[in-house]
Amino acid sequence: MLLWIIFACLTAAVAALLILPLARPAEAADDSTQGEAAVYRDQLRELERDKGLGLIGDEEAEYARAEIGRRLIATADKGAKAAVSPAKRRVSLAVMGVTLFIPAIGLCLYVALGSPWLPAQPLAARLENPGNNLELLVAKAERHLAQNPQDGAGWDLLAPIYFRTQRLGDAEMAYRNAIRFLGESPERLAGLGETLVAANDGIVIEDARTAFEAAIKLRPGDARVRFYLALALEQAGRNDEARVAFEQLANDTPPGAPWLALVNEHIVKTGGQMQSNQGVVSGAGRPPGNPTDADVAAIGGMAAPDRQAAIRGMVDTLAARLEEEPNNIEGWLRLVRSYGVLGDRLRAQQALDKGLKTFAPTTGEGRQLVALAAEMGIEPQAPVGEGAKP
Amino acid sequence: MIIEIGHFALVLALAVALIVSVVPVIGAARRDAAMMALAPVGSLVLFALVAFSFGVLTWAYVVSDFSVKNVWENSHSLMPLLYKYTGVWGNHEGSMMLWLLIVVLFSALVVVFGKNLPETLKANVLAVQSWIASAFLFFILLTSNPFIRLDPAPAEGQDLNPILQDFGLAIHPPLLYLGYVGFSVCFSFAVAALIEGRIDAAWARWVRPWTLAAWTFLTAGIAMGSYWAYYELGWGGWWFWDPVENASFMPWLAGTALLHSALVMEKREALKIWTVLLAIMTFSLSLLGTFLVRSGVLTSVHAFATDPTRGIFILGILTLFIGGAFVLFAWRAPRLKSGGLFQPISREGALVLNNLILTVCCATVLTGTLYPLVLETITGEKISVGAPFFNLSFGLLMIPLLLAVPFGPLLAWKRGDLLGAMQRLYLVIGAAFVAGLVLYYIENGGPVMAALGLALACYLMLGALADLWYRANFGKLAFNVAWRRLIGLPRSAFGTALAHFGLGVTVLGIIIVSTYQTETVVEMKQGSTAEAGGYSLVFDGMRHAVGPNYTDDQGHFSISKAGVVVADTWSSKRLYTARRMPTTEAGIVTFWLSQLYVSLGDPMADGGIVVRIWWKPFILCIWGGCLIMMLGGFVSLSDRRLRVGAPSRKVKVAKPVKPVMEPAE
Repeated sequence: MLLWIIFACLTAAVAALLILPLARPAEAADDSTQGEAAVYRDQLRELERDKGLGLIGDEEAEYARAEIGRRLIATADKGAKAAVSPAKRRVSLAVMGVTLFIPAIGLCLYVALGSPWLPAQPLAARLENPGNNLELLVAKAERHLAQNPQDGAGWDLLAPIYFRTQRLGDAEMAYRNAIRFLGESPERLAGLGETLVAANDGIVIEDARTAFEAAIKLRPGDARVRFYLALALEQAGRNDEARVAFEQLANDTPPGAPWLALVNEHIVKTGGQMQSNQGVVSGAGRPPGNPTDADVAAIGGMAAPDRQAAIRGMVDTLAARLEEEPNNIEGWLRLVRSYGVLGDRLRAQQALDKGLKTFAPTTGEGRQLVALAAEMGIEPQAPVGEGAKP
Repeated sequence: MIIEIGHFALVLALAVALIVSVVPVIGAARRDAAMMALAPVGSLVLFALVAFSFGVLTWAYVVSDFSVKNVWENSHSLMPLLYKYTGVWGNHEGSMMLWLLIVVLFSALVVVFGKNLPETLKANVLAVQSWIASAFLFFILLTSNPFIRLDPAPAEGQDLNPILQDFGLAIHPPLLYLGYVGFSVCFSFAVAALIEGRIDAAWARWVRPWTLAAWTFLTAGIAMGSYWAYYELGWGGWWFWDPVENASFMPWLAGTALLHSALVMEKREALKIWTVLLAIMTFSLSLLGTFLVRSGVLTSVHAFATDPTRGIFILGILTLFIGGAFVLFAWRAPRLKSGGLFQPISREGALVLNNLILTVCCATVLTGTLYPLVLETITGEKISVGAPFFNLSFGLLMIPLLLAVPFGPLLAWKRGDLLGAMQRLYLVIGAAFVAGLVLYYIENGGPVMAALGLALACYLMLGALADLWYRANFGKLAFNVAWRRLIGLPRSAFGTALAHFGLGVTVLGIIIVSTYQTETVVEMKQGSTAEAGGYSLVFDGMRHAVGPNYTDDQGHFSISKAGVVVADTWSSKRLYTARRMPTTEAGIVTFWLSQLYVSLGDPMADGGIVVRIWWKPFILCIWGGCLIMMLGGFVSLSDRRLRVGAPSRKVKVAKPVKPVMEPAE
């Protein structure tokens, strides 16, 4: 409300100032040649001074005086023609125009363009009361750090927030500062590595690998760090070593871990087989439909689209076999995961439902299936616990 | 709330500008004093509103109010305070606000200093100024509004472009705009005169201080931009014939011509139509410069498409004002009475020659700047018109102009005595030749053209002094009498001499630098030595440093002459982390007027680093000359005669002006 009162006052003041000259009793313009005449008279005075100083000769001065004189006379002529009677009506029209036009234009344009409901928000005042605004809290921490750049705990706090908000350059700096002031820790090193990877479009650069290696020394077995180290191997083209690392990681991963799918995806990418976390690695108890080692070798040498097609073919073979011999929980688990990894949600869904027909969700095997599906964001179509044989 | 009041003030400013655009013109046409009296009051109100609005925007920058989109886009809470102020115009919206502020500032100045102007002329001038202000207010409010808000407000801004975080570039735009926009007053005077249909010698006198002020600021702005490019870009060059540079250089050329032709008009009432045309052209070139730089046409024709509204809007303004003014000119100019006659050999003749050459130079630069754009638009073929074209065409054109400069002030009005002037310049020419040859031998072996160029520069400088010498009549009169005459000369005479002398100094710098500079590119390792300009540089090694928002790789160099260490410098490569933007911070060591310029290149595999070392003899003359030209401008401006009008005020001195012969031999 106050804002609008100020607007009204401002508008009124401006309009009043503009009306003031118009409201004077109408009068004809002054003789408009005064100024010109002044200039020429001044030129004449200068001429005299020049002559006095001896800067010009008498003859030239005489000549110049004549020329300036002619200009003076010309202005006097113009002056005589000037005066015209003023019209009162025109002025009152102008007054009306000003009174209406200024508020009209001012209000219309402002209403179209302005944001009257927004207060001014100087940063200092907002930082006083940041409330729950994460951004402001970050800004506040940043100001604190600008004053106390040696405060490692502050950097440690900010670094993961920067990473999550995609401010990767800042995250890198914060992690490095935290490490410098507080020393290395698995979290900081892993965070730094992850930031560097994110900042380099997913490539595990040299610096990142060094950080991960340092982190794994401090905390052996960290799944995230192991994943990135394996990824580094994969990106270096050392597929076999990468596959082994990924497979080991998959084996050590507890069931239902959210990153399992990603790990499996990389196992496939590096030419390995889908792994469950049940530790089935050796050839003895292979579930049906698994490709032979020869198949794997062949796939490894293929170009990406071919490889995708080959994998697809094997998965389809597995599906066909399971139609015939449904009593194979390993097979169903693989099938659901495979479809999930290939991004075929519909088939994964169907496979899940078929598997649950054999292994009821209440049984141990059924629960495994449901858990795996949940990880991949797939839910059984049939309500769990019903419609399946015990 | 204050932000919204600032926004509202800007909107009100538009309403006021529109009223001041219309009512006084009607008043002037009907000779109605009341309606004409609206113009000064309205212009002051307009200035107050825009200044308040600009102040609010500045406040938003200073307190980092990120609810203002423009602040969020171009500021950062941790930026040094100085750059929070200068950041206001370090972006498109803010710089348009600055432009607007300067337009209305000049209107207000016309009100304050224009008490002696005839009512109708003043009303029309202020109305035309208001047209320009209205157009830019529309442009700002509709396409480039700096008061757009963000809700919720971000907590931190996106930082100012690191290149702009530099003092030189921070004050470059205001100076340049004072120049560009200052010419709007000349434009307004010209259009007002065309509207009234009459123009005379007094008009030229009223316009002169505005031309002079605008020209002085533009000179400063260009020199500042050039020096910035020299020390910041790390290429060691000081002028690149870059389209952005040309955009500011063209109004300068036209403005210089205007300055001189207005002189002829004031003294002899001749060249009226030409002067009006020049006034229109100068401001048109300023607008064109704004358009080229602001629309993004320059970096690439296709950048236009990134924001077509803005480009097309400015193009509209351009067409409206330039086209409108030329139509008015074509309609009205034939009715203007032409003035005094003069012989080809006379002060007027010399000034006409000056105008002719400057205009042709300006057209050359315009062609070189626009031709690639036009060609690319029409045929899609990309060409670049580079330094060789400009150096050759511009350089050749300048030689006769520079030769004529010392003659101008020595020739008499109306009909001059070339032989007399020649006789007086005899000594100057001789001395200049000797000086040029001496310099030639000192530097030992440059092309003959350079020696002639040096002679030309010395001739310009000595010629400027000779002008004062002969006016005071040293050599004929006793020394103390002549000295008193010298002191008694009007300030504009000193202004002329200073400006011409400064031109000579700049030419001297340009010629010496282009002829005798040396460039050394070497790979240096710690402890290795390079030679440049008679100095030896020892590379002491690199260090890494971290600034507030950048990291720095700095190399240290010790400079010695004849085995004695005389100076040392740091040269660095800087990386602004937030925007991943590298900049070069060259190490520059000044030895009197010459400089040693050290720039770091890429590191080599074997641990060395590529170092570029330039020896720039007399380089400071280039900008020193500009400073002297500016000083000349200010000295002239301080001449009381330019504030003429109030007849009560006693005018102190005079020069042999008027249609009067100089004391001839």
